This record gives sequence, structure tokens and C-alpha cells, in this order.
Amino acid sequence: MQPMTTEQIRVLIARGKLKDTLFQGLGIICLSIGLLVIFLLVGDMLMRGLDRLNIEFFTEFASRRASQSGILSAWVGTLLVMLVTAAAAVPLGVAAGIYLEEYAKRNWITDIIEINITNLAAVPSIVYGLLALGIFVYTFGFGQSILSAGLTLALLILPIVIVATREAIRSIPAMIREGSMAVGATRWQTCRYHIIPYAMPGILTGVIIGLARAIGETAPIITIGALTFIAFLPPAPFSATGVDGASAGLFDWVMSPFTVMPIQIFNWTSRPDPAFEVNAAAAGFVLMGMVLTMNAIAIYLRYRMRKNIKW
Amino acid sequence: MQTHDKPQLKAEARNLNFYYGQTQALKNINMPIYDKKVTALIGPSGCGKSTYLRSFNRMHDLYPGNRYEGEIRFFPDNSNLLSADVDPIEVRMRVGMVFQKPNPFPKTIYENVAYGLRVRGEKNKRILDEKVENALRGAAIWDEVKDRLQDLAPNLSGGQQQRLCIARALATDPELLLFDEPTSALDPIATGAIEELVHELKTRVTILIVTHNMQQAARVSDYTAYMYLGEMIEFGKTDEIFIKPQDKRTEDYITGRMG
Amino acid sequence: MNESQHVSSQFDEDLGRLRTHVLQMGGLVETQISAAIEAYTTGEIASVKTIVETDRKVNDLEKAIDDDCAHIIAKRQPTASDLRLVLGISKIVTDLERAGDEAKKIAKGVRRIYDNGHLPAQYGVGIRHLAEAALAMVRQALDAFARLDGALAVSVIRADADVDVEFKSIIRQLITHMMEDPRTITTSIDIISISRAIERIGDHAKNISEQVIFVVEGRDIRHNKEAIK
Repeated sequence: MQPMTTEQIRVLIARGKLKDTLFQGLGIICLSIGLLVIFLLVGDMLMRGLDRLNIEFFTEFASRRASQSGILSAWVGTLLVMLVTAAAAVPLGVAAGIYLEEYAKRNWITDIIEINITNLAAVPSIVYGLLALGIFVYTFGFGQSILSAGLTLALLILPIVIVATREAIRSIPAMIREGSMAVGATRWQTCRYHIIPYAMPGILTGVIIGLARAIGETAPIITIGALTFIAFLPPAPFSATGVDGASAGLFDWVMSPFTVMPIQIFNWTSRPDPAFEVNAAAAGFVLMGMVLTMNAIAIYLRYRMRKNIKW
Repeated sequence: MQTHDKPQLKAEARNLNFYYGQTQALKNINMPIYDKKVTALIGPSGCGKSTYLRSFNRMHDLYPGNRYEGEIRFFPDNSNLLSADVDPIEVRMRVGMVFQKPNPFPKTIYENVAYGLRVRGEKNKRILDEKVENALRGAAIWDEVKDRLQDLAPNLSGGQQQRLCIARALATDPELLLFDEPTSALDPIATGAIEELVHELKTRVTILIVTHNMQQAARVSDYTAYMYLGEMIEFGKTDEIFIKPQDKRTEDYITGRMG
Repeated sequence: MNESQHVSSQFDEDLGRLRTHVLQMGGLVETQISAAIEAYTTGEIASVKTIVETDRKVNDLEKAIDDDCAHIIAKRQPTASDLRLVLGISKIVTDLERAGDEAKKIAKGVRRIYDNGHLPAQYGVGIRHLAEAALAMVRQALDAFARLDGALAVSVIRADADVDVEFKSIIRQLITHMMEDPRTITTSIDIISISRAIERIGDHAKNISEQVIFVVEGRDIRHNKEAIK
């Protein structure tokens, strides 16, 4: 075979590069469609709700008059529910993930558990709502409280946390684990000093992605009976409450009735008065902001923690 | 014969078989490991030398489906390392290991070395400091790192990382130290430093080293075992193996002939 | 000895060339020795010059082979039978070269004897016999090396004892002659040095055989009379 001339080689490269350019263009178009939709959504909400985005909007309770309505009880409720969700889902999910990766023997039982976890992630959220209504609200008697809502959402994001934990653990090279075991460490010492710290960035990312999903959930919260209109805050720890003036306990707030952002938005959009739609848009914008902030925190934390972990 | 010249036994494999599930990886291995000597395991890839090495600290117990048969007797107490009654953690407390690729933990240099001591419940700062320094000196890396013990270990060069891993193993005073191709990821200078270190270490610890570099085996070891397809083909003094091997298969392997 | 091929065919070629050179050198030394014997019995002094010239070639080959050995050690790090072969060869060539030197000494002694007159007849047969035995030893040692034949090498080592015995009896004979007739002293001294050289050739053949045994069996039997019994 004759070696190619420089001219032939150039023609060949040019032909290859044309396809490069074509695919690059196509990719940019596809990407723009996605970005455009988000920008339109956020922009639209911002434009429609801009009038209401002031300090009062955050410090006022909901009201019958649209112009005086605020989202105080909603954002406080959302934060508190998220707190309970995280407090329940993180230890449960991380512990389960560690058990499955580090301790469980590989057999048909673990196979079944694994399939179930994957399936749990796909269960519609309303079904979790029904389950929680039966278990938390009635059987355990937690009522229509922040605790019930937090636990329900914790159940919802548990599979996400477990899967994220397992993925994070799997990305730790086997030689690190072997290195630890080789000096005579037990499994728990290995987890405590190595596996958990090194998996933490991944676990955190998973937790925040889970919370970002939970923050927007409406269906299960409605199912367990969150209030749609509420003009008080849950009792702060040790604050004076009620007529008898007794102090609230440290955790009294968990049993309090509540509302959350998505329900507030849902409530406002179902009002006939179009002024409430402005409120809904503004609240939607705030909710978006919350989700984006959480994601930003996740990215920042992951960057910070990964900086010191390399092998 | 002069019996006083005969080295003491540190360990001895007796009729050792090993299975990965259904696959038999080690076939009836009998071999002595002499005290305060360096024993090298050589053989082509997949001959079972690493599998054999990892039996000495029960590393196979970390993974399911592995099965030992036979014994590895450990002296002077004459215990069987492979016995079901012996906790693998107890074995690993007495038998240290250095891996093929340097695997320092993503922690500080100090913490890497102190880890084995912390695992044993040592909390006294003064004792920790002292033992960390001794181990780093023993691994010939103290002078290079003494001013930056709080730096992250993965920022060290490959050769330094490997010496740090040796220090990590030394910190807990093992009786037997296993090396699994410790220089395969290192350049010739770093390799030379590790070989020199192995030579120095044999005054205080028995060493078993797997290497696919035959010259390395010839340089560092007192005894050499040639393994092929899970069998121990030949064991003997390194000088004898490299000048006059008894078995044709050993000869073919070390002279670089086709099998 | 291992006859299967190396993974590196270049290594096989290097070793093959090394062995060929040794045999080539051995061939030259053999001709030197037989030419020297020939000159001794026939008085053909002309061949002395050829013997001296051949010695130069032998010296060049020795240097070239040593150089090749160094290269192989540096590049291939030979082990086991390869290591023994290279080490053995580097010693064998030294002995071959010295055997060549001895042949040169014989030739020069022959020239002195014939320059001063001619060889007395009674010294012909014994020396010739001794020289042929030594030459046979060299030949067999080289054969043993070429075929890596340990048994043949052992027989060469045994033959050296006979050569030594014969050498001693020649010396005794010469001493008797010198006492009987002092006029023969000058010639006798030359003949002593010739027979001494022949005896040395036998020693070199023995050394070569010892190296062959080291190459083949990995046993070092030098200075050990028990080893070949």
C-alpha cells in the first residue's frame, strides 16, 4: 500500500472534522432547548411575581387579601419539615448503605433487598402519602404534624440517600479498605476512620439532591393533611405558649400543625382572585431559589471536601 | 552439618490449598519461611504468588467465596494462621502488609503512621509521637517528612508514599511483613530505595516479598520460591536458584525462555 | 543444559554467536599447537612465524569475546544456565589464550634448538607422545564445550594426571642425560621448557573442562579431587 500524501491526509481530516462540527452544533441546540425552558419558567415567574417580592412577603402570614399575604408560615414550615426529613433520612440511609456495602454477605436476600431499594425510588410519592397517613398519622398518633410530614418525606428520599451512599462507598478504591484492614482494623474502625469520611462528599450530594426533591413534594403532604391556611408559627423551643403561659419544650414544634411552600402555592393558584396568582408566582420563584441554593451548597461542599481526598 | 547455621522457622505452609469459589488457585503448597530472612516469591502473572502472600494475613477473608485448606504454622507459638478459631484481625495485628500500588490514606502523614496504633487503642500523644517517629525512621523517610508531618500523604511522591506505607506497617511492630510487588509502580531510583530498605529491615522483621522482577528477587532475597499455575515448583536459597535451579520450569522462567 | 529458545530471539543470537567465537578461537589454538609439534619433529622452522601470527588473531578473538560477555551481562542480566555459560566462556577464553601462548613458547624453543644445530634423535618420541596427549585434551575439552558434554569433560580432567606423570618421567630422563653428557645441557634446557609448555597446555585443557562442568551442571569442581571420582 502506498503511503498517503499530505494532501490526502488533510482531506481525510477535513472530512472527519466536518462531522465534529455538525454534532457540536446539534448538541448546542439540544442543550439550548433545555436551558431556554428553565430560563423562561424562572423569568416568567420573576416578572409576574416581582411586585410582591419584598420583605413583607417573607414576614407576613397568609391573608384573605392577596396584597397583604406572605409566606412566613410556609417557608418556616418547609425549613422545619426539611430539618426533620434530613434528621431521619441521613442516619437511616447512610447506615443502611454502609451495611449493604461493607457488612452484608452477597446472597439472594441482599439481592432482593437491592431490587426493592431500586423499586422504592420509583414508587409514586402519593403512595408514600397514603402509607404515612396510615402509619404516622393514625397508628403512631403523630397527627397532622411537622413530624409526620418530615418522616414521610424521609421515607421518600431514603432510597436516594441509600443509593448515593453506596455509590460513594463504591468509588473508594479497594486498596484503601485493604490498607486499613491490613494493619488489623475491624470493619467498624475501617468505616469510622475511612469509609464514612471519604464517602461523605458523595453522601452529602445525595442527601441534598434528595432534599431538593422533597422540598417540592406536594402530594404526600396533602395526603397526610397539611393545612392550607395557617396564621401562626410552630412554638419555638422554650417560648411561652397558650393561655396558661407554660414554656414550650425543646421539641414541641415537631407536633405542630404546619404548611409548606408548595401547598401555599397550590392554595393560591386555586383562588379565583387573579391577584393571588402574582403571589403564587413570587412564592414559586422563592421555592426555585431555595432549591438552587441547596444545589449550590451541595456543589460547594463537595468541592471543599474532595479537595483533600485523593488516591 | 553445622546445625547452628540453620535459620529458625518463622512460618511454614503445610499442604496449603486455596479456592476462589470453584477455582483452585493454590495447590498443595509446602514451604518454610525463615526468621529474619527475606523470602521472594517469583513466577509468571496468575501463578498464585499474590494469592499465596495474601493468605498470610487472611486478606482473602474480606471477600466472599474464598476457602483455605491446610495450614500456615506460625512460630514460635506454633499457631495455625488459617484456623477458623483464629480471628483474621489477630493475624493482621501480627503480620503487616505493603501493597503493589502505594495506598496511603488521604490523611496527614502523621495520621497514616499513627493509624495502626490508634486501631490498637493507643491514645497517649507522647507514645504516638515516639512510635510514629521510630516507624518513619525505620522506613528511611523521617528526614524527608519530619518538617511536614501534617501535610497530606497523597501529596508525597510515589516512592515516598510507598515508604510511608512501609512505616505504617512498621509502626505496630509486625513479626512478618508481606510485600506485594512493592516497586511495580515506582521508578528505578525509588525502587532502589525500597530494596535498600528491605535489606535493612530484615534485621528486625521476617519478610516475604512477591515480585515479577527477577533481578529484584535475586538482589533482595535470601530464599526464593518459584511458583507456576498455583504450584510451588522450587524453593531454595536465592543464590542456588539463580545459578543452578533444579527444575527445568524454573530454569526456563528465570532465563527468559518460552515455556 | 537448556536448549529451548528465549522469548528474546536477539538473546539467542547473542549467545549463539558467543559460542561460535569460542569454538573458532579453540580451532585456532589447536592449529597452533599441532603446528608447533610438527615443527618440533620435522624441524620446519618456517611454520614458527605462522604460529606467532596466529597468536595475534587468538588475542584479538579473546578481547572480542570478553567484550561480548560484558555486553550480554549488561544488557540481558543472564541467570542460571545463561549466567553459567557467559561466566564459563569468559574463563575458558583466558585458558585458551594461554594455551596459545604456550604453543608460541614451544615454537620459539624449537627455533632455538634448530638454530643451534639439530634435535638429538632420542628426544623425539617421548615429547611427541606427550604433546599429542595434551593436544587431544584440548580437542576433547573443546568438544565437551561444543556439545555441553559433562562426561567427556570429566574424562579430560582424568587424562591430565597421565600427562603429568609422563612429563615428570621426561624430566627425569633429561636430568640423567645432562649428568651423563654435559654438552647436551643447552638443548636439554630448551627441551625442558618445551615439555613444560606442553604440560601447561594440558593444565589449561583441564581448566576448560572444569568450566564446562560448571556450565553444564552448575558444580564448581576446581581444587576438589573428590568431585570427579
